Formats: sequence, C-alpha cells, structure tokens
Amino acid sequence: MSDRSRRLGIDVGGTFTDVVAAGEDGFSVTKVPSTPGAPEEGVLSGVTESEVELERVGLLAHGTTVATNAVLEHNWARTALVTTAGFRDVLEIGRQHRPSLYDLRVEGPTPIVPRQRRLEVAERIDERGAVQTPLDPSSIDEIVDRVEDAEVESVAISFLFAYENDEHERRLAEAFDDSDSCISISRSSVVLPEIREYERTLATALNAGLKPVMDRYIGRLEGQLEDAGLTAPLRIMQSNGGIIGADFARERPINTLLSGPAAGVQGAAAVAARADFENIITIDMGGTSCDVSLVEQGDAVVSTDVTVGEYPVSVPMVDIHTIGAGGGSIAWVDAGGALRVGPQSAGAEPGPVSYGRGGRKPTVTDAQVVLGRIEPASFLPAALEPAPAAAREVIATDIAEPLDRTVEEAAMGMIEVANANMERAIRVVSVERGHDPRSFALVAFGGAGPLHAPAIARSLDIPSVVIPRAAGVLSALGLLVTNLTHEFSRSQVRPWEEVEAETLRETIAEFAATGRERLRESGQEAGAIEVAQSVDVRYAGQSSSLSIPVEGTVDEAALDRVAERFHDSHRRRYGHAAPEERIELETIRVRVRRLVEPPELRIEEDSSRAISPTSKREVRYPSGEHDTEVYDRSALYPGVNIQGPAIIGGAESTVLLYPDQRGRVDEYGSILVEQVGGEGV
Amino acid sequence: MTIDPITLEVIRNGLVAVAEEMNANLIRTGYSPNIKERQDCSCAVFDASGDMVSQAENIPVHLGAMPFSVAAAIDEFPIETLAPGDGILLNDPFRGGAHLPDLTLITPIFVEGTLTAFAANRAHHADVGGSRAGSVAADSSEIYQEGIRIPPVRLLEKDRLVEDVVAMILANTRAPDERRGDLRAQAAANRTGRRRVEELVTRHGADTIREATEAVKTYSERRMRSEIAGIPDGTYEFSDVIEDDGRGNTDLTIAVEVRIDGETVAVDFEGCDAQTEGAVNAVFAVTASATYYALRCLTDPEIPPNAGCYRPIDISAPSGSIVHAEPPAAVVGGNLETSQRIVDVILGAFAGADPDRTVAASQGTMNNVTLGGVDNAGQEYAFYETQAGGYGASGGQDGMDGVQVHMTNTRNTPIEVLETAYPLRVRRYSYRPDSGGAGEFRGGLGLRRDIEVQGETTTCSLLAERRRRAPFGIAGGGPGERGEDYINQEGDWERIEAKSTHQLTTGDVLSVRTPGGGGFGDPDDRALAAIDRDLREGKLTQEAAAETYGYRVE
Repeated sequence: MSDRSRRLGIDVGGTFTDVVAAGEDGFSVTKVPSTPGAPEEGVLSGVTESEVELERVGLLAHGTTVATNAVLEHNWARTALVTTAGFRDVLEIGRQHRPSLYDLRVEGPTPIVPRQRRLEVAERIDERGAVQTPLDPSSIDEIVDRVEDAEVESVAISFLFAYENDEHERRLAEAFDDSDSCISISRSSVVLPEIREYERTLATALNAGLKPVMDRYIGRLEGQLEDAGLTAPLRIMQSNGGIIGADFARERPINTLLSGPAAGVQGAAAVAARADFENIITIDMGGTSCDVSLVEQGDAVVSTDVTVGEYPVSVPMVDIHTIGAGGGSIAWVDAGGALRVGPQSAGAEPGPVSYGRGGRKPTVTDAQVVLGRIEPASFLPAALEPAPAAAREVIATDIAEPLDRTVEEAAMGMIEVANANMERAIRVVSVERGHDPRSFALVAFGGAGPLHAPAIARSLDIPSVVIPRAAGVLSALGLLVTNLTHEFSRSQVRPWEEVEAETLRETIAEFAATGRERLRESGQEAGAIEVAQSVDVRYAGQSSSLSIPVEGTVDEAALDRVAERFHDSHRRRYGHAAPEERIELETIRVRVRRLVEPPELRIEEDSSRAISPTSKREVRYPSGEHDTEVYDRSALYPGVNIQGPAIIGGAESTVLLYPDQRGRVDEYGSILVEQVGGEGV
Repeated sequence: MTIDPITLEVIRNGLVAVAEEMNANLIRTGYSPNIKERQDCSCAVFDASGDMVSQAENIPVHLGAMPFSVAAAIDEFPIETLAPGDGILLNDPFRGGAHLPDLTLITPIFVEGTLTAFAANRAHHADVGGSRAGSVAADSSEIYQEGIRIPPVRLLEKDRLVEDVVAMILANTRAPDERRGDLRAQAAANRTGRRRVEELVTRHGADTIREATEAVKTYSERRMRSEIAGIPDGTYEFSDVIEDDGRGNTDLTIAVEVRIDGETVAVDFEGCDAQTEGAVNAVFAVTASATYYALRCLTDPEIPPNAGCYRPIDISAPSGSIVHAEPPAAVVGGNLETSQRIVDVILGAFAGADPDRTVAASQGTMNNVTLGGVDNAGQEYAFYETQAGGYGASGGQDGMDGVQVHMTNTRNTPIEVLETAYPLRVRRYSYRPDSGGAGEFRGGLGLRRDIEVQGETTTCSLLAERRRRAPFGIAGGGPGERGEDYINQEGDWERIEAKSTHQLTTGDVLSVRTPGGGGFGDPDDRALAAIDRDLREGKLTQEAAAETYGYRVE
C-alpha cells in the first residue's frame, strides 16, 4: 500500500486559489491567482506549485464558488419547472412583497425559470399527505413531452405538500428517468422537503439550474486531477459546514453556495478550539466586504434564511452575515453632512489611494496609513510606488475639510464608522439571535480583520481576540478539519400530542441509515460516525420554531424532555414561555457525520532567540499618539508576549494592539489578544 | 450642535439596530400567521419628547401613524405618572390608533430614573371582535360595530401583564389564545428595545444620546428640505375617488392640492368629501401617514426616516372629512383603502410637476379578504390576508407584477401554512394576463387567488377598491385592468361586490382578481422586444397585443 498520508485543502476565492497541504510534519501554504473562466486551471496550478505529489494524497477537499458565481451572474442552465396546477407563478410572485419600501422603481428578482417554461399538471396532496387529486398517467406523458420540447438541460419538480407525500413527484421523476432525454432532474421532496412552497420551489429550481453547471465543472476537475495522479476521492465543501463526496455535490449543488466562506468558519473554529475557545464570533474582513458568523460549542450556527444574490435560499447554511465594509470601503460626507463609510468600495482595482494604483477616493485602508498603523511599502509588490502623501491629501479635502476636523480626526472617524458598521453586523449574528457577545471570543482573519478586530472587541466588551497564523488561507485550512456530513429534514406539522415516538423513531432511523449508506459510498472508512437528531418545535399557532435536540432512545419520555427543553429555550431566547400552552412539531432533522482526524497544526520552533522590534513609529490611537514598536510576525514563536501599543506585521495582514492590550503567541502560532485593564485608550 | 459627526453616525446606527432587533423578535415570537408569515407589524424608537428617531421598515401605513400613538399615550399618561415596567396599549383610531385591528404597545424607557425614550410596536391582530370574524367588516356604519375599542390603557405594570385588562380584551375576540400569544410577543419586543436603549445610554451617556437624537432629526430635516427644493415650485392638483363605501354611497372624492414653495411642501385636502356612512373613513393619523409615505418616495429613500423628515411638510385636512374622520365614523377601510388613494392622488399631483419623478397609479387597494367560522374540530378561527397586484409603470420601467404596493408590504401566507392552520384550500395563485395598463412601459399585472372553504359555516368578507374605477396611467399610458371578484357556489361563478359579506359552506370558492398597475407613455412607443417577451411568457395574450399595441404575430 503506497503512502497516502498527505491531505490537500484547496479553496478557490475570487482573487486567489489557496492550497494547504498537511502531512505528518505540519502544513504548507500555496497561493496562486484564481482563473474565474475555468477555475480548475487555478486548482491544478496551485497543486503543481505546492509540489505535493497527488499519488501521495489521501484526502482532497475543495471549496468552490462555481455555484455561487452562477447564481450571482444568472448563469444557470436552461431549466423547466413543473408545479401543481394553478401554481406555476409561485416561483415569480415569491412572498409578494417589494424589496425596498420607498423606491418607486422597484424590481423583483429575475425568476430562475421564465414563465413559458413553467408547466402545470393536475394533482393534489393535502396537508397530511393524503392524495386528493391523483396524478394521471396520461398527464405524466404529456408533461414529459412538453419538457422535452422546451429543449432544457434540467427540470425541477415542485408539488404542493410533496414533503408530506412524495409519491407524485417521484412518479414524474421516474417518467423522466425512463425517457431517453438525459434531462437532469431535481424534485422538491429531495432538495428541501420542508413546508412553505415558495422557498421550496425556489431551492428546487435553483438546484435544477445549477446541476448541469456543477456537473460539468466537477467532471473537468476530476478528470484533470486524475490525469495528474490523484487516486483519492474528491470531496466538496457544503454551505452547512460539512463535506460531501463530489458525486453528491453534482446532485445537490444548491448545498455549495457558501462553500468557501463556510470552510473559513470551520478553520476559525478549529484554530480557536486549540486555544480553548468553543464559542466564537468570526470576522473575515477583506478588501470589499466583511463576513461575520457565530460558532457555538464548536459548531457553526446554521440558518435557513440566508440570501444569496437576490434569492432567499432556505437550505441550511452557515449563518454568515455579509456587509459592505472592507479595507477598500470608500468614505464620504453625504448631503446632510454626515460621515459615511461604504458600501461602495475601491476594490482591488484601483484600490486605496495609498497603494498608488490610481485610486482617488479615501478608503479605510488610507485612514490606517494616515494614522501610521500600516505602511504600504512593507507589503506592496516592489513594482508599485506607495502614495501615503496622496492618501493624506484626499482625506484632508474629501473628509476633514467638510467636517471641519483635522486630518487625523477625520481618519480616526472613518475607522470608527467602519467599526460601528461591523459591530452592528456582530450584533445581528449574536444579540439578535439571543447570544451575548461578551461570552464569545472574536476570531479575526482576512486581509483587514486583524487590524480592526482588537478595537471592535474593546467596544463590544469581548474579552479575547484570536488571530490565526494562517489568517490568509483559513478556508483552505478549514477544509482539512471539516467532517463528512449529510443532513436530512422533513416537515411534518402535527400537534405534539399526536406525535408518536415510534413514527419519529422510524423517520430518524431511515435518515440515519441513508446517511451511513452515503458515507460508505464516499469511500472513507476511518473515523467514528456521529448521528445528531433534532426536531423543530413551536407553540401551536406560532409560525417560528426552535430546533431542539432529541437525545437517547426516541420514546415517550424523550418526547417529554423535548417539550420541556423547548419551553426553556424559548424563555432563554425570547424572554417568555408558556408551559401550559400546546406545542407542535414542524420539522424533523438528522445530521450524520464521519469525524475526521484533524492534521497536526502545532508549530515547533526554536524559542531561544530574543525577540526585538524591527522598528518604532508614532501611531495614533483614540487616546492620542503613542510610540509604537513594530514586530515581524514571522519572527515570533510560541510563548512570546507582546505588550501594546504594538504593531505586528505579517505577509497577509497587520495586527494592531492598543496600549491596554497584550498579545501572546500560542503553540499553534495564533496571536491571542487580551485586555490588560486600564482605560487610557 | 456640539456632537461630532462620527459619534452621531455611530449612535444613529445603534438606534436603527434597536428597532430592527425589536422587529426580528416580534416576528419570531408572534403567534398568528399574520405577524410571522405576513409580517404585518412595525417597530420604532421614539425620544423622550415623542419624536420618532428610528424605525424598522415594514409597513408604511403603520410607520407614519405611530407618532400619533405615542402622543396619545403621553396625553393620557403624563410622563410624571409613568413608571419603569409600564406598557401602554391602544387601538382607538380617535385616540392614537389607525383602525381597530392594529394594536400598538408603547413602553417608556427610563435610565437612572429619567424618562429617556419610548419603544413602540404595532401589530395587526387577526381578530378584535365586532360584527364579522377578522374585524375587517365592509358594511359597518359606526366604529362600535368594528370591534373592541381600546383607549390608552396600562397593559403592563412592573413588567407584568395586567391580567384584568388582558381578560377584557380576550373576552372580546374570536381567537383569544392567538391574541394572548401576539400580545406577549409585542411585550417581549418592547422589552428588547428597552434593554438595547439602556445599553446605548450606558455606553454613550444620556446627554450624548439626547444630543444625538436631536442631531439625527435635524440631519434628516436638512436633507428633506434640500430634496424638496429640487422640485419645481408651484401648485399641483389631482383628484380621484373611493368608488364606494360599502353602504351604497359611491364616488367619494379624494382631492389634493400640493404647493411646493422652496424647501417646504403644503398638502391640502380641502377638496375631499365629508366623512361617509361606510367604513372607508381615514382618521388624520392615516392621512398623515400616507402623505409622509408619498413624500418619502419622491425624495431620496436613503434619508434616515425619523420625525425630522416630516418637519418641512404641512398637512391640512378638514375635520369631519373622509380624510379626517370624527367619531363615531367606521374607519377600518380608511387605513386599508383610503390610505392607498391618498398616495395615488399625491403621486398624481406630482406627475404635474415632473412625470419622470413619479409613477402611474398602482393597484390602489389591499384586497382585504377575511374568512372566519368554525373548523371541523369545532374551533373558532379568523383568517385575514391582503392580496398583491400591479405596481404602476414609470418612465424607463414596467411596473412590477403581483406585488404589494405603497401603504402595505405584507408577505403572502404560504399556501402550505394556510392549509395546515385553517380549514381552507387555495386552488389557484397566478398572474392575470393583460391586466397591466398599456404604455411604452406597461403597468404590473394583477393576481388571481382562489380559496376554497372547507368548514361548514364560513363567513367571507371582502373589502377592496378599484373594481369600477381603474388605476390611472400617466404621460399617455393606459389604465390598469380593474379588479373582479367571484364566488362559485354550485359550479357557477357569480360576480360579487368589492365590499361585501357572504356565508359560504364546504366546497364554495372565493376568487379574488386584483387590479393591474397603470401604464406610462404612449403604447405605440412600446419596444417590440418587450411585447414579444410578454407574449412568450403569456403575460399578454395575442388578442390584447393586437388590440392594444396593434401587434400581430406573423
């Protein structure tokens, strides 16, 4: 048996494709430019550059933006939709509300399937799954013919109450299978078997539109990797924070819409766990936007109301809240004389004024330069001529003068406003969901995250900040620590007293068996299998439910425990509960995962060297100017303590410690920032 | 002003976050599909003087009227009589409310013993008693028939529900469990608001917050003034009608005269008819709310919404008129229907100033449907929803198809949720082809929604407009198609009145077909590609293409 001890995590982002290769001797990092037209080319060149022999790779996990980009660019396959008679327009009407209240030129999202390819068929199932109008065999034939005539690559089938009874959807799907049309099929009882027809139909239509796109991509990628020597199966990261086999991703591309960002959250969680933080808020701040999410007890919080592009996608995804605040966000003084930052961004091109690439608008990065916190000369490619003076000038004319402030005050204000925007995003994922940010650690990554996070932590009273060593490739790293995961759900709205332990037990057992089967198919034998089961429960008549774990054997006593825990959770989260009132079941959920053995992330380095600052400069803080020592992050090793005020510069990002903060390097190379009392900032 | 612009922006963001968090909490814990699924509720934060300083943007007709609720609450309970933990509830349209189903809860927020702010939310309850299940009766002639009338009362004392007040309210509604759950959600939302405001004050200091709220209002006022200054000075008039009041009185005039003078605008409703017998009378708060909404649409939507926006706007509506009703007028449709017509005439008047700034008339109704009765398990229920329709076309763009317009923005009830919760079946939910007004840019399409009744005895009430008088087009555009409603009782479709009540039984079907939006510009100028697309999608039939656009398929 050959040595297949290497593991590869490959994340394709908008600008860079990152490769993290892990073996027994630690891990290495490779960054190559992405190739948006054919992402597999960037993947292959990253593999080549990493110098890893694919024959020796036992696991290759991949984060992809193929599905995301297809949605954002409306680049999905030509698709048809079949619905229950009378309801083909549900996909376009949506929830009938307008996206902005006061805009007289309001527009809705482009329907995934245009009206002429939305077909109806007579059939009807009721809310308990009983057939009211049988699906006639002759109408099946007619629909198959019409879909074939429409010359589509893919078809979505979404019937009312198909989550209660999938018979009609299944029969129609089988008819397509039996025809020789090669049309790819997605049905709602498989893609999202949950109540609410618009959300389910949208998810099914999107999945249908994405299937041919994902299928072609994975076909090309697998072919090329195999040609290059890969024998291990290809794995794909899903938006829910779990990994699946490539074949399953071809079937369910809708589950990959947040593939890369979800991997980043997993990476952050893994690094934080090693520093003994199980509850974290992640903040990934790049050039144009900032992603914020929350991890509770080591698991990323998953939500079913995430919006991708214009579409509310209800499949479970890591709850990532994105706002337009990045290093490139542009500051401006609006018509009423208020200082605003973003969402417009100078992006990578032309970028901040101080980068000397033709940027003319003051950005957050320029403010940091004016305050002395970063020096573009230290990280820009040699070919570029940094322009700190120009940055100062543009902040003076565009911000300081209209506001009647000094340039430093204006720059400080730009950062405060940007930070306030990020604080609001953190509140959305924490306090709005019933979590107190003060009991979480902040994990900061992305190019600009480490520079802003310590200040944000102070103002939200978050006691600790973790800045991972691999802050620039955390998604690729996250791919190596993520478990193989299959999730199942089925809505079954019933008064709680009508829920039978036996039926529930059977449904859960069926899901668990399918999950184990899929894990077997994906070809990985090692690692324990873990099954987690939960039910979404609510007060009868209430429309919003809470997910409650079902622990142990599913019997009557377990049902009673669920009911008890529901009242407790409701009180904790919303401040009130009514134990005397009836509750009801909405949805059953099962998660089956195979736990991976994470790679060694510890770093061992000679720790006898003395650490000394590389330089010293005046840096401005809210409390005023302080002489600040500058350190080179690559020269630090585990156990080193650095007292603020200090700047720790690295290849991908810069850390800023306030005078009352201290940074400590842990054995994994993460910098842990803590307050050391005092208020003098 | 001494507060610096940076702190100001930070606090303004903080105040918006408070309202948004209240709203998220209310929607998540509301009991009735009307609150959670349709999101027929709104939240806002007010300063100690009762001025609105931030809001979560949900339902326009709520937002502009809520300041009247806070004012009425303070009027009844002077600040020195309020204590921490109080919650004031009201729905009386003549004392701070808009129509009876909307229950507003106002919570004073004290920080270190000083009244600092108010948290307020308004939620539409699916039943508050009265002559018809769902409390949206189309045939009332006095407010006494419309349901329980609640003047400002203490619903909460020391953070606890005042159970005798609750008991009295619940005894007057058809689905008391649901009402209790929704009231509790309203209380929890305000509690969240109070906690967050307290945190803001702790963080920034009471004086800074006070200065910031003043500055936020001044800022919005300044921007509003500069926007109004950009509209050509002049006097612009427009009038339209409420087609009937449900009691046989037809074509009630809603007329407006808008005077733009520099950076202020005067909106005068002198020409409106007197208040009427039926339930389409708007109280002044509703008229003000509709006027504020229309002006927010005509100015930069980015201006932070707060009391400052309203300062350059002067509204006069004669007391005793259909837009400033006095007791004991029936008013439920004033909030739902007349509010839409007020927006139509204001936007219509501005078309005279500059058609490119405005849009053709949208569907101009909320198509209120209420179904209530006893389900097969013997439980009483009341189900209420409003239906989307066509949005008006504008210069450069077709109106949006099948969408809530102007004063409302409630979601639909998902069919699967509706059928699981109530003895009802939806038989069809689709666009109405050809219903958009013709024009270079066409109006949005109306919708058709067919609901079959399952319970043995079901009362069905419809309260709608634009069934006789079509939504107007502008700049040469044609009118949108009028709405039509039918009941199918024994296999035959029978047209019903726009404001009517019917007794239905198992198997009967109500079909509501909502109006399209008006068109913009000469239909002869419509791009062939746009006509082709509509034909392909079946949104335009070949007959209509030939008739309206002279377009024939080869």
